[in-house]
Amino acid sequence: MEATVLDSWVLAEFETPDVLVDATRQMREKGFQGMDTYSPYPLHGGSEALGLPPSKVPFIALCGGLTGLTTALAMQTWMNTYDYPLNIGGRPLLSLPAWVPITFELSVLFAAFGIFFGLLGLSRLPQPYHPVFESDAFRTASTHGFWLSVPHATGQDAAAVIDQLKALGATQVTVVTGEKE
Amino acid sequence: MTPAAEASAPLERYTGTPKLMVPAFGLGALGLLATLAGFFASSDAYAKGAAAHSYLLAFVYWVGISVAFLIMVAIFHTAKAKWLIVLRRTMETGASAVPVFILLIIPVILMAGYLYPWWPGSPLRAAITGLESEHLSHKEHGYLNWKFTLVRHVIYFVVWAFAAWKLRGLSLKQDAEGGLDLTVRMRRFSPGILPFLALTITFASFDWLMSLTPLWQSTIFGVYYFAGSFLAAFCILTIATTNARGKDLYGNVVTPAHFHNLGKLMLAFTAFWAYIAFSQFMLVWIANIPEEAPWYGLRIFGAWKPMSIALFFGHFVLPFFVLLSRNLKLQPRKLSVVAVYLLAIHAVDLYWLIWPALTGTNGPTFHWTLITAFLGVGGIAVGFALMNARNNYTMPVKDPYIAESLRYVQP
Repeated sequence: MEATVLDSWVLAEFETPDVLVDATRQMREKGFQGMDTYSPYPLHGGSEALGLPPSKVPFIALCGGLTGLTTALAMQTWMNTYDYPLNIGGRPLLSLPAWVPITFELSVLFAAFGIFFGLLGLSRLPQPYHPVFESDAFRTASTHGFWLSVPHATGQDAAAVIDQLKALGATQVTVVTGEKE
Repeated sequence: MTPAAEASAPLERYTGTPKLMVPAFGLGALGLLATLAGFFASSDAYAKGAAAHSYLLAFVYWVGISVAFLIMVAIFHTAKAKWLIVLRRTMETGASAVPVFILLIIPVILMAGYLYPWWPGSPLRAAITGLESEHLSHKEHGYLNWKFTLVRHVIYFVVWAFAAWKLRGLSLKQDAEGGLDLTVRMRRFSPGILPFLALTITFASFDWLMSLTPLWQSTIFGVYYFAGSFLAAFCILTIATTNARGKDLYGNVVTPAHFHNLGKLMLAFTAFWAYIAFSQFMLVWIANIPEEAPWYGLRIFGAWKPMSIALFFGHFVLPFFVLLSRNLKLQPRKLSVVAVYLLAIHAVDLYWLIWPALTGTNGPTFHWTLITAFLGVGGIAVGFALMNARNNYTMPVKDPYIAESLRYVQP
């Protein structure tokens, strides 16, 4: 019963980012899947070691930017040529060069929104609870610890995985079990 | 040798330059002779003007790139950047071509009457009449006269040649001696010379390009010229690095991360060029005052309109979106294709600045001296740079940070 509603992870802490990246790569080559790394700052080579596919964030940012571009051009065209046309010094009503600053700013703003919210959405953040938060030792992931999580079938013996992680240089290994997301 | 053996062989002083240098000098000499013959042998005012403007275009194109390389070296020293050290010798070699332009400026001065209405005895002066003529006389009195112009040119070339000689000299000395103290000296010298480099390239662009239309002025013009030249210099650096494979060449040890950075800098300076170009245009458009508007009026209406639109798409929109791709920036060959394209469009940009002063509302025309002058000045400049590269290492082998540069990974 438990195995269908509970998830387990083997958590391993490593001393340096290099050891973590190396261990991640070797664990992936052994066939472990669904792993994740945790570090206090961006990890060089972390995504490559995990074998992650290319990020979708740039595409979302591009869509955001193009949305901003069209919104700004449409808004200014509608306002200046139809809704409230004003003749200023004989300039054309459809004065594209004068609209570029607002178009640029709105493109940047929407692209930034795309990056910010796209990243939050793809990372499923904010996440107020996750079973691994139960582990007190795991708190070092936000200060000085370099952690690797390996999904593990609930209820089965994790000794083999633990041994492999220790052989790769893990300083401490724990198993965490909690409700499925 | 196989590529793998080449990569692991010890790096010696490079001796392979003559096979490129000799054809470059030959082509350069032929191009220069043809262009000058085109100017002096013809009596037609258009042909003379076209030859003079073609030569000016070629001159500002190549000298701009050389000075941009100099500024690049100084900026990277100022920032204490380490990733690019493996590429630095190529930048220094590009900057080392500066002294040859002291000779290459002479034809510009000889043909100045056909370029600049303010030059004494210029036949173009007659077209400026009435109040405009008085206004121009006022400018000529203090600044746009031949004596002060020559003095300014002496200042430009003294500053550039001195900076290029100093920075490259210290770097070559380090090849023999090594040591951190030479790096420290380069890093102290660079921020000190940068303001002078900025001022000289600004005033040089005023003298060479802006004063073709002496009644028009734009204070951002120097930055515009610098932006295009700086981008072109990164393009040449990318092409050189891609092709520097073989015995004693540094391309064997460059990593994809270096190319990624070069691609990112090309993207950044494509955007920078567009930003500066648009800033200049928008201020003139918004203000719309008779003194400034005609320069753009000539270019954005009538026969020059298609070219202005093409420049916006060709120099900004297309390369910007192409260079956004991360995969492309990691592939040296493909990145070099973009670099060649940008080098071509930079020439179109300079044509768009220069040629309307010759043909006015008649629009773009083609004259054969455009090709000969471009190859002439380019051949001599490239040949001279290669001559300086001869029997030197292709990268700063004893720089204390060279190992860090070779190990560089993506941040």
